Parts: sequence; C-alpha cells; structure tokens
Amino acid sequence: MCVAGALALLVYALTTASPYGLRVLTVAGVYALATFGFQIVFGLGGALSLAQGAFFGLGAYVTGILGSRYGLGFEATFPLSLLVPVVVAAPVGLAVLRLESHYFALATLGIAQVLHLLAVNVPELTGGANGLAGVPGVVLFGWAVPRGLPMAALVWGLVALGGLAGWRLTRGRLGRSLTTLRDDPLAAATLGLDVGRLRLTAFAVSALFAGAAGALAVHTQRVVSPEVLEFPVMVSILTIAVVGGRGRMAGAVLGAVLLLHLPEWFRFLERGYLVVYGAALLLTVVLAPDGLTGLLDRAAVRLFGPRPRRLPDPREPPRPPTPAEGLTVAGLEKSFGGVRAVDGVSLALRPGGITGLIGPNGSGKTTVINLLSGLEQPDSGRVRLGGRDVTGAPADRLARAGLARSFQAAALPGGTSVLEAVAAARLALDPDAATAEAHALWALERLGVGELAGRSCDGLPAALRRRVELARSLVRRPAVLLLDEPAAGLTDGEKAELATLLRALAREGMAILLVEHDMGFLLPLAGRVVCLDRGRTLYDGPPDGVRRDPAVAAAYLGTVPPAERPA
Amino acid sequence: MRRALSLLIGLLAGVPIAARADTLSFPVLVPLTGFLSLEGTSQRNGAVLALKQTPAGITVASEVVDTGTSPEAAVTALERAAGSGTVGAVAASMLGTQMLAMLPLAQELKLPLVTVSGTASITEQGNPWVFRFFPGDAVTKSAHARYVVEELGKRRPAVIYQTTAYGQSGKTHLDAAFKALGVTPVFEEGVDPAAKDLLPVLTKALAAGPDVLVLHLHSGPTALLLRQAASSGVTLPIVAGSAMHQPSTAALLEPSELKGVCAETAASPVSGGSAEMQAFTDSYRAAFGKEPDAFALGQYDGMTMVLEAVKAGARSPDAIRKALSAEAFQGLAMTYKSDGKGNMAHSAVIVCYDGTSRVPKLAKRYDDPTLAAQ
Amino acid sequence: MAALQLLVNGVALGAAYALVALGFVLVLNATAAVNFAQGDLVMAGGLLGVAAAPLIPLPGIVLLPVVLALMAALGLLLAVVAYLPLRNRPPVSVFISTIAVGIILQNGAAILFGPEPRAAPPLFGDDTLRLGGLALPEQSLAIIAVAALLIGAQQWVFGRTQLGRRLRATAQDPEMARACGVPVTAMILVTFAIGAACAGAAGLLLANRYFVTPTAGGDLILKAYIAVTVGGWGSVPGAVVGALLIALFEVGVSSVLSYPVALGALYATLLAILVLRPQGLFGEAVRRRG
Repeated sequence: MCVAGALALLVYALTTASPYGLRVLTVAGVYALATFGFQIVFGLGGALSLAQGAFFGLGAYVTGILGSRYGLGFEATFPLSLLVPVVVAAPVGLAVLRLESHYFALATLGIAQVLHLLAVNVPELTGGANGLAGVPGVVLFGWAVPRGLPMAALVWGLVALGGLAGWRLTRGRLGRSLTTLRDDPLAAATLGLDVGRLRLTAFAVSALFAGAAGALAVHTQRVVSPEVLEFPVMVSILTIAVVGGRGRMAGAVLGAVLLLHLPEWFRFLERGYLVVYGAALLLTVVLAPDGLTGLLDRAAVRLFGPRPRRLPDPREPPRPPTPAEGLTVAGLEKSFGGVRAVDGVSLALRPGGITGLIGPNGSGKTTVINLLSGLEQPDSGRVRLGGRDVTGAPADRLARAGLARSFQAAALPGGTSVLEAVAAARLALDPDAATAEAHALWALERLGVGELAGRSCDGLPAALRRRVELARSLVRRPAVLLLDEPAAGLTDGEKAELATLLRALAREGMAILLVEHDMGFLLPLAGRVVCLDRGRTLYDGPPDGVRRDPAVAAAYLGTVPPAERPA
Repeated sequence: MRRALSLLIGLLAGVPIAARADTLSFPVLVPLTGFLSLEGTSQRNGAVLALKQTPAGITVASEVVDTGTSPEAAVTALERAAGSGTVGAVAASMLGTQMLAMLPLAQELKLPLVTVSGTASITEQGNPWVFRFFPGDAVTKSAHARYVVEELGKRRPAVIYQTTAYGQSGKTHLDAAFKALGVTPVFEEGVDPAAKDLLPVLTKALAAGPDVLVLHLHSGPTALLLRQAASSGVTLPIVAGSAMHQPSTAALLEPSELKGVCAETAASPVSGGSAEMQAFTDSYRAAFGKEPDAFALGQYDGMTMVLEAVKAGARSPDAIRKALSAEAFQGLAMTYKSDGKGNMAHSAVIVCYDGTSRVPKLAKRYDDPTLAAQ
Repeated sequence: MAALQLLVNGVALGAAYALVALGFVLVLNATAAVNFAQGDLVMAGGLLGVAAAPLIPLPGIVLLPVVLALMAALGLLLAVVAYLPLRNRPPVSVFISTIAVGIILQNGAAILFGPEPRAAPPLFGDDTLRLGGLALPEQSLAIIAVAALLIGAQQWVFGRTQLGRRLRATAQDPEMARACGVPVTAMILVTFAIGAACAGAAGLLLANRYFVTPTAGGDLILKAYIAVTVGGWGSVPGAVVGALLIALFEVGVSSVLSYPVALGALYATLLAILVLRPQGLFGEAVRRRG
C-alpha cells in the first residue's frame, strides 16, 4: 500500500507535474515532515502539543536569519535549524510536561504565542512583521539546488528519510512505550516506564522534525515572516495528523498531500474555495474515524483479507537475581481529606511467600496496593524493597526495582493485540520491541493462552483479560507481585489453575501479595493473612486463625458498633 | 492497481487550465482571505474593473487567486499562474511579505508584478520586474509628516502604529520623515491588530503631552481609536494613515466623530475631482456595490497602464516590463512614471473630514514630497 | 480618573469575553469536547446583528432575542453536523470537525458580507453618560449588564431547574444520566444551542463597540481557550474570572507597559499559573473521559 502510494507520487512528480504542481508537492512534503514529529508527540504520546507550529517557525527563523543576514549555507543552517528547536524544547518540556491534557496544550500554545510576539516585536533580529527577504535557496556543497524537480526531490528525499526514521521509532521501544503511556499513564508507570522522560524525548523529537520542516519551508518560499509562527500552521499540522491517521507516518504523508492539494483543486471558486475545503475536511473527519490510513487499511482487509501476523519464537525472559529480602512495610499511613484510609499498616512480603490481604469493602486494601506500587505517596511509614529504602519512590522506579502489580479492572489498552499489550510490560527491560514480544509470548504460553497472542485486546472475555493482565505482570519476572482480586469472575476450574500457578511462582522465589474476597480460594493458598478494617490491621497471622477471629467476623458482619471495636 | 495509480496521478494534477495561445492572461493574485482581505478585495476589484475595460482588439484572460496571508501561498499562486497560458503581467498582492517572496520567482519566470503594496523594501531588491502603482511609504509618510509639521504647525506628535508589516514599515518612515523635519515624536507605540480596547494606548499617548495624534493603523483599529478619542473628548487634531480614507472605515463612524480628522492617501476616488474619476467611481459602484478606495484606484491605474502597453504592441511580459519602466502614464490618481526601481507613484494627498459627511475633501497635494522634504 | 475609566472599559471587555468563554465552557462540560468554532460563532452573531439591523429598525435590545434565537438554531446545526456523528470518537475529532465548521463560517461570512469591518447597532443608545470626569458609554454599561444577566440566568437554570439538573447530569456522566432516564442527546443539543446563543450575544455586544470582520473569530477562540484553562477546565466561575483576567492585561497592564509587552506578560502569567497551579485557578470541573 505504502509502496503503491510512493510510486504514484514519484510517477506524478516525474511525468505530469507542472512547476506549480511540483511546488505544491514540495510544500506538502514540508508539512509531512513537520507532521512526523507531531505524530510522535501527539499521535503516539497523546500529548496535544500546540508548540509544533512554533518549533516549525523557530527552524524557519534560524535558517532565515542565518541565511539572509549571515549568508550561511545549507550545511550550517540546516543542522542548526534542527538543533535550536530541540534546545528550546528541552527546558520548556521540563517545565510543562507534567501538566495534563489541556493545561499542557495551553502551556505549549502560550510558548508559541510568546515566540510569535518576539518575532513581530524584535525587528532588529527578525525583521519584524515584514520578516526577512533574500533567504538563499538550498546550496549543497556549492551546488545550488534549483527549484522544481530537484528541490521537490530534496524535500521528498528528506521526507522519506524522516518517515523511515519515524516509522522505526513507532515500531520500536520508544513508539510502543509512548502508546502505552497514551492509553493509560498510570498503568504505564507501574510497568516501569518513566513517563516524564518519555514525554520529554517525544517532545524533543517532535521539535527536531518541526525544525527540519521549517528550514525547508523557508528555502522554498525564500522569505521568513511571522506567518510561519502563526496558529494556522499549527492547525494545519494537527489536521493533517488526524485526517491522515493518528500516530502513523504514512498518515502524515497522505494527510499532507491531500490537505495541501485540496484547496488547489477548488481554486476556480475564487473566494469560495475555503468553504468547500472546510466541508471536505468535515466530511473526511466524519467518514474516516481512524483517518485515511485507517480507511485504506479496512479496504485492504476487505479486499485481501486480514494479513496474518508472524509470531516470534517464545523466549524465556532472564530472571533477575532474587533479592534476599522481599518487600517490607512499617507504619504505613495515608489520609484523603481528613479520612484515614490507611492507618499504621505493617507488612512483610518474604521471597517465596504468599500473603493474603483481606477486609470489607473500603477497608483500604486497594490503597495499600497503590501505596506499595507508588501510585500514591504515603504520609508516613517506611517501605523497603530488596533491602533498600524506597519510601516515596515513584511507580516507575519501584517497577524497575522488581515490583509488579495488577489492577482490579484489567487495564488493557484498546486497539492493540494481546501480544503487544504483554510486550509493553517488557519495554522498560528489553533492548528492543522484538525481544519484548518473544518474552511476551513465553509468558502467554506459560499461562496457557499462547493462542491469544494475535487477537485484539478489545472484546476479550473477562476471564481471559485477567489472564492477559497476569501475563503482563509475570513477564517482568518481578521479585514482588501484588495482585488485586485476580480470581474475581473465574470459574472453579480456572481458580484451581490460578492457584497452581501462584504456588509455582512462589516456589521460584517470588513474594506475592493477594487481595481477595474469595476465602475458599485464598486461605488454602496463603501462608499468612492480613485483615484490614478502616485502614487498620485487624488480624495478622496464619490463615486458619482468621475464621475464628471475633474481630474479623465482626468487621465482616458488622455486628459490633465501631466504637466498641478492639483497636 | 494501474487504474488506481493513474487515478491518483490525475487527481494530483488537478483540472488543467485551458488557455488559448493568442490571448494574454493577467492573473490577479491578491489576499482575499485573512487580515488583509479588505485591502486585497479592493485590489482585486480595481484590477478586475481595468481588465473588463480592455481596449478594442485585445483579448485577455484573467483568473483571480487568493493568496491568503502567507508568503508560501503567494509563491504557489504565482507558480500556478505562470503555468496557465501566456502571462502578460500579474496583479500582485499588496502584502509586503508576499511581494518579497514572489519577487525572486517573478524574476526567474520573467513576469512583471503590478502591485499597490506600500512596503518600501519591495523596490529596493534590485528587481526589475516590480512596479508599484501606489506611493511607497517613503512618499506617503513624508507627506504625512510634512502636513503635520508644515501645515498644522505641530511639533509634538504622538505616533500610534500597528504591529504589522504595514504599521512597522510606516512607522520607520514616519520616524525618518519627522527627523528630516527636525521633529521628534513625544510618544510612539505599536498596537496589535487584535487589540480590542485602544483606550490604554490613547491614555498613554495623551499623557505624553502631544499637540497632534499621528495614526498608522488598519481600517478597524483606526475607526476604533477615533471613536474612543471622540468619546474621551480629545480635541487634538488627528492625522491618520491611509486606512482612514477607505470608505469602509468612515462608514463605521458618525460624521461628527470624524470632524477635524485628516488622512494621508494616494487618492480619494469618492471625493471626485474630475469627470474621469467620477466615471470610475460610478462603474466601480455598479460592478461591486461598494465604494472604491485608493488601493482599488492604484491597481486600476496600474492594470490600465499595462493594457495600454499591450494596445501599443507589447505582446510579451518582457515588452510589457519595458513599457512600464520607460513610459509615463496619465492615470486617474496621478501621473505614473518609474524612478528606475519600479516606483511608479510619487504623489500623495492629505484629505480631511469636515464633520458633516463621510466623504473627505482634498486638503493638500504633495508631488514627490520626499524631494522637497530633504 | 484615567485608572477608573480604564477599569470601566476593562470590565466591559472582560464581560464580553466572559460570554464568549461561557458558551465554550458549557459545550465543553456537556461533551468533553473543545468547540473550536466558538470564536467564529461569535463573529457570526455579530454579523447577524449587522444584517438584521436594517430589517428591524429598532434598538439592539430588540435585536438581541432575534440574534439569540437564530444563533441557537445555528448551534443545533453545529451539533448535528460536527458533534453527533463523532460523539463516540476521541475528543480531538470534534476539535478538528469544529475547526472545519469555523473555516466554513468564516469564509461563508466573507462571501456574504464582504471583508469590511462592520458595526452592529448599540443595545440602547450610542450616547456617553458623563459622571464627573468619567465617560460611560451606554454600550459599555449595556455589555456589562447583559453579560451579568445572561451569566446569572445560566447559573439559575443550571442550579435551580429540572432542565439544569438534567444538563448537569449529562455533563458529569452521560452514561449514568442515560441510565437515569435523562434524554442525553436532547440535552447535548440544548447545550449547543445555549452555547451558540451565548456566542451570538457576545458577538452582537462586541460588534458595536469593537466592530466585526469575518476573520475576528480566530483571536476570540484563543482568548476563550485561555480563559477557560486558566480558570480551571470546565469551571464556569473560573471562565468568567479568566476572561476578566485577560481583559485586565489587555486594558490595565497595557496602559502601563506597551501592548505587545502586556500580551507577553499575559502569556508569562499564564505559564506561571499553569506551573504553580496545574489544575487552574478554580480546580477542574471536568474529569477527562477516556
């Protein structure tokens, strides 16, 4: 499909296109390049950066100022046009990356507006609103690239290069990590992914692409003026990404070629062409939910049938050396708005031991797991993992230190295959995506669901979802495993299988914490049981004692008024 | 697959523009959308009106293409126009940035650009293909400053300009013109065209103790500032930039709010003055249902001069360029003659409103004010 | 005295911005989608006022209900073409579809009305009341009054009426609201209608004092976006405060510093607010939906 499209463009450029057609094509290439970067930060990373247009403009101004004022050649200006946006993006990113969704969008928009204000109001440097004229064309080692076919070839050569690099990024660890992050930032952190660093990387990479595109834009129009920093450029890039297909490099190319040609087709309408353009845009968004590439994919599936996915050979992931200590917690406390959710809980999860955590609804079990896995920070108390103090460490650091957890509602990403979802859990550990997939298949097979690998996570029955979720934890070979109600909704047979598996894992040296309601499942399995009520430890001892404990019975049955409960 | 391929290619190529070889085409590439659409539409109408009144024996084709506000769109439009038939000359955008972007390409394509852009630098590029049928900022701002200093006798002007290409270029030349007259403005500040309330800048300007307000703003902001000045009871004389003379600016205000306001411009077609000017205004109204302004008239004069050259035998862009750079032409607004750099217009006028009508009266005419000022 | 005069002007401008932001935040609350056509709806409202003025030679206050009704209809149309087909898609789809509608509105207006700036009739009169040395244009007072009235009415509808409770329920959790028997689609349509009507009122009010051109919307949507985010995504009082803050910078700060510097200071303040208070000034009212 991609090859056919590329071929069509090539044939068109070489045979049919007029100088005008080539220019439109060149500009489309420029926008495709800028959109590649946007696909990474927004399409994959899910961060609506409204600074992509600003980085485009920044690259444009670097080339414009250096080219027209100082007469520097392409060899010097082009790398600098790539570099300067990245250098600006890094500190800006550090400041605003922790902002969520719309606040991030507005912050990046604010940065774009400040750059635009500077461009207009510092005429000594930028030429002010008039901009700078006389930017030279591309001169490559003494050869001035003429406009028309050579310039189009240069731009599209860079588009091909950038597209390939972007495509490899998409397929590789960074791209996978970003999609994991986009779909569920919390889950991503518990899989060991450093959310801040990933976003910053994506932001910087997007600035790099935008800078390259800006430089080429200035070389084609030979003038740099504040229009390159204005909001319409940003809107075009966003539109190209969404119309082409979010997160896809082919989508960027398809979107750019279409959106840059669309107004040209309706030029004969003089003033009305933009009305038609708007209507066509609206229609495309409504009719192609996953963008044009999504539409083409579906057409291809209908024509040729689904493309079978080649599975990797399963490979057992290496087991990190088991630490002598598991996870120990002392005096854990956490309040939410004056309510003590966890009040002085102490636990010790030893390697090879299975600990059950029980208690009525709202007793603080899930909060304990959240505290242990770093999703919440404790108010006081100490946490040690593998012999080191990790109190207050963020989720991704804990995960990388050997902790894994599952969620009550299995949080599998939509639209991805089971194999990819499980491989996502290895992204922070493995050198590349292929290795991660091989390891993922091993985990799926160990859980007896290897045949699910190629299926989509959407529409998976609940029991299988739990199995896949468990595979995501298992595949990381954690030292400590926290499971939040893994048996809920399973049949008796499935529960028995799960119990066998957990015993085997414990035998391998894993420390396991099980939050469960099902006593019939938990008590035979656990070597130790802790019962919580209103955030306090009510019982801590062997499983057979728990049924006989009057306080536990009271808490579950609610017969004793809270005031008379033993502390 | 092959059919899909050819379909794709055909789509990309778009609809080919049919053009006969024996007609000359005069594409009109002006901003019809975006913040300069008001001026761009005047330009379009002026050019279209001139092309409608083609002298007998000549067939012309013309296409109007919107250039928006980006240099990129202007360059693309020029390349498109060049590919459709034999182009005689191009009516080109009055947006300075777009002109600067089109100039190198026009030189490569050998196409004369006929514009009414006031941006000084477009005729300073050493490019023989540009012809400006509107006095450049150097001319209009000299007239502007001289009227303030010499006629009104004011020596403490407060200058308020727009932070756009139009405003910044005008401000630079106002500074130079005032300096030549030995006057230093007591206040100078740029305003964004999106600024809604202009009272802050007005308050600051008044605080500087000026004896005259000198404006160089676009149409809407000019009207806004005049209205806020009127409602604040400002009695200082106000001399505005060329946007004031546009009938659409005056239409936003009550005649009483305009009392004592003057403006610099190349011409004021609605003020009449000659039978030919009256005829132009009438046919403009009939064709477009609007009042013409100096931009329309300048573009009209420019395209008329081009057509005169064609009538006189110029059948190629190069022949038209030669005619434009060598001949003098008696247009409706003034006599046009190139100074060797493509500046065709060397006169500016000051018009003033008397407070009873929205049609200004000619107050002072400056022929080549830059020469006199120095 | 000059400071007081600037305050009056600033509040009038802020009130008009608040109406723009209000329409934006209502739709946001009901659908979790950004209506990027809001600025162009304001422009459309202004031009509708301009177009209707010669047909109804009465003061603007009579024109206002006409504009409100027509704009509400336009809001319904917007919802039907640009929101309903995309309601189960990621919010960014609506972002793009409303951008498309904005392009259509802006260029359609340019074709119908031409590029000239226009002035809508004043609500009551064009006179300026003099109070000591203070010039109070009637229109400024009218803007403040109408904005306060509309915002108040909206608070009342949302706080005290059955319709309001249903609208709020829809905004908070459409699935739950549907389960409770609230006609969610109808509620969303009503919200779009109210949002567009707000835009129409803002357009009519702004177009008298500050004129209107077909390209006026682009700047207004940025202002609305800033106001809503600074105030706290989805918070109505936050949006009003955000709008007043923007006006304060445009009118207040720019009376001390130059306009471009004031604009720069606005963005610097904005970034500072975001970094120091990442949930906006008033906290978030809309939780992100998946």
